[in-house]
Amino acid sequence: MSDMHIPDGYIDIGLAVLFGALSVAILSLAARRVGRTVPESRAPLLGVVAAGIFAAQMLDWPIPGGTSAHFVGGAFAAILLGPHLGSLCVATVVTIQALVFGDGGLLVLGANVFNMAIVEVYVGYGLYRLLAPYGEYRAAFAAGWLGITAGALTAGLQLGLSSAFEYQLLTTLSIMGIGHLVLGLIEGAITAVVYRFLAEARPDLRPTADAEVSLS
Amino acid sequence: MSDTLPNWLPRALAVLVALTLLAPVFGWAAGAVGYAEPLENAAEATGATGSVEAVEIALMPDYGVAGLGAAPGTFVSAVVGTALTLVVAGAIGRLLGTDPDAD
Repeated sequence: MSDMHIPDGYIDIGLAVLFGALSVAILSLAARRVGRTVPESRAPLLGVVAAGIFAAQMLDWPIPGGTSAHFVGGAFAAILLGPHLGSLCVATVVTIQALVFGDGGLLVLGANVFNMAIVEVYVGYGLYRLLAPYGEYRAAFAAGWLGITAGALTAGLQLGLSSAFEYQLLTTLSIMGIGHLVLGLIEGAITAVVYRFLAEARPDLRPTADAEVSLS
Repeated sequence: MSDTLPNWLPRALAVLVALTLLAPVFGWAAGAVGYAEPLENAAEATGATGSVEAVEIALMPDYGVAGLGAAPGTFVSAVVGTALTLVVAGAIGRLLGTDPDAD
């Protein structure tokens, strides 16, 4: 059930420290940007979205041909909560998965947070904002699809620059990138469908109803 | 706080319960396929598979519970993980500083 969760031993310690420091710095900035802009009645939304992402990640969809996929949810969190709160949301999920369930290593926790809670979230959100004028749900699909692919490429970069993978950067980038470019279609579809359902059932939860979603 | 709980919360919690109930079913189905993911494929292609170091302090490694079978263990893990995430992320939301005037 690991998907993009890199275990300890796969990434060289120097890279793990570098991405750990980057993650702490970016999440600190995100927390500062969120500031006191979360409406009190919407604070539980962060908990519910994070818990939903955790639970959804446990649903491994078997795919004929010998692979599986599960919803990662970075772009979904970004669209619904805004990029800064979305990144904190996914970082919480990734941290609990590592500490309690051993899904993803502890030394490489910062790298996993960087891939799934920062790259996937901010790339997904940027694509959503860019494409939303051409269709909100199509934009959500592209955000989920290409957001997870971007996160996977970052993971491929980290693996390919590490000794355990014999510095075979081209191999790791191509396997992670192409693999998630295909599996990401499912991520995009789930992101668009769940977002559409939520937007129609509860329009008050749409990002436009939340002050945090702006990139300011 | 209770007077500010949104009316969508009960339905959202019901969805979470449904997801946790589904977790063992999906776990069994994915296991039956005998799948490999891109990360595992990359490790196999480069000979990195032997480098994995397990997280020793994990209380419920690989989403299982010692002494329980696969399905019950997955279910308990789903319940514990979902509840823990709900509490921790909810607390972070409040700690970040909510603005009662922002509604």
